[in-house]
Amino acid sequence: MIASVLPTISPGTLLAGGVTATAASLWLLLPRGQSGAAERTSRWLGTLLGLAALACFVATGHRLGGLGEEAVFLIVSLVAVISGAATVVTRSPVYSAIWFAMALAGVAGVLLVLGAQFLGVATIVVYAGAILVMFLFVLMLAAPAGLAPYDRVSNEPLLSAVAGAVLLGILSLSIGRLTAEPPLCCRMPSKTAAIAGNAAADPVPAASEAGVDLLIENHVARLGGELFGRHLLAVEVAGVLLLVALIGSIAIVSRAASADGTVAPARRAVP
Amino acid sequence: MTPAPLVLDGLVVGAILFSLGLVGILARRNLIVMFLCAELMLQGISVSLVAWSRHHGDWGGHVLVIFVLTVAACEAAVALVFVLQAFARTGRLDSAAWQSLRESNLPRTVDHELPAVDVLPLKFPKLTPAGVEPSVDQDALLEREHV
Repeated sequence: MIASVLPTISPGTLLAGGVTATAASLWLLLPRGQSGAAERTSRWLGTLLGLAALACFVATGHRLGGLGEEAVFLIVSLVAVISGAATVVTRSPVYSAIWFAMALAGVAGVLLVLGAQFLGVATIVVYAGAILVMFLFVLMLAAPAGLAPYDRVSNEPLLSAVAGAVLLGILSLSIGRLTAEPPLCCRMPSKTAAIAGNAAADPVPAASEAGVDLLIENHVARLGGELFGRHLLAVEVAGVLLLVALIGSIAIVSRAASADGTVAPARRAVP
Repeated sequence: MTPAPLVLDGLVVGAILFSLGLVGILARRNLIVMFLCAELMLQGISVSLVAWSRHHGDWGGHVLVIFVLTVAACEAAVALVFVLQAFARTGRLDSAAWQSLRESNLPRTVDHELPAVDVLPLKFPKLTPAGVEPSVDQDALLEREHV
């Protein structure tokens, strides 16, 4: 009977029900300082709810194909956007940095959903692991106790908020225009059709077909091949840039410290 | 050709992150928070690049994001050194502390009077007063109702 009823419910409802039932059953099963009949009742209820949740998940399992990606994208993008807003508006700089870490987690999720597996992991490792910790170090070194006055007052808050909102509106408009049909004057035949000289060829290649290439199994190997093949020179330049930044930051620190006089001057080489 | 819905969503998320970072870098005065907002803008750019890369089905966007990561690391290192130097000279992380570097025809930023800090005074928990330790039945401590 259950097998005939369950498929009629939509997979989203089933999934939501399964998640809710899992949470409720775990809560019921965990020890909460009860005893006697109440404990036994909650155990039974929890076991039943857990079984129902399992049934929901099993019934959902193979039908989540289209739903999963959109739902996950919605969740991680909400995390990214809300944490980004909190980064900007939080008064305390330390909390701002922590919110930025949360925004990084959301952005990494967005990158993963969009098919950039290596970049999602690299964002977590490089940004949240290295750059953000450096920010926090400097904050701990330099931030005064309590809220500084410059953290409590913004520089032209109204103007900058309006500027950001207008920029966002313009960007959204231009993104929305991507979905609209291009006007006749600008409609051009695609490159392949032009090369073939065949005007009757379909000018619209399938979008999904193009995206498949990024979702193959050996994703990282392909990305590495692209990076160290076509862009080898750029990789070398990036390495030089890292070296220059390293030397430059050390040089700035040591020279400024010696010129300031607060720190012992750097030892000069004896001629 | 029309981008897939997921690509459009990615572009919108990138635009929102970029705008938020722009607002922060314009409005905030703490130098470190300004740099955090710049990093937020870079994140928005990265999301947009990956979305376009998915749309076109090639690796250019991914490679570009890797270089964005590299340059962001360099930029953070050098910029934080400058911030530390600025802090050592002025004792503040305030960007308005350096407003003598502005153009000569621009007015000076003057802070209006701020209301007093509305943060409540710190409250520490009161420890229970210590006294004579009551006598405890050691057998009752070892007993359990059931195992």
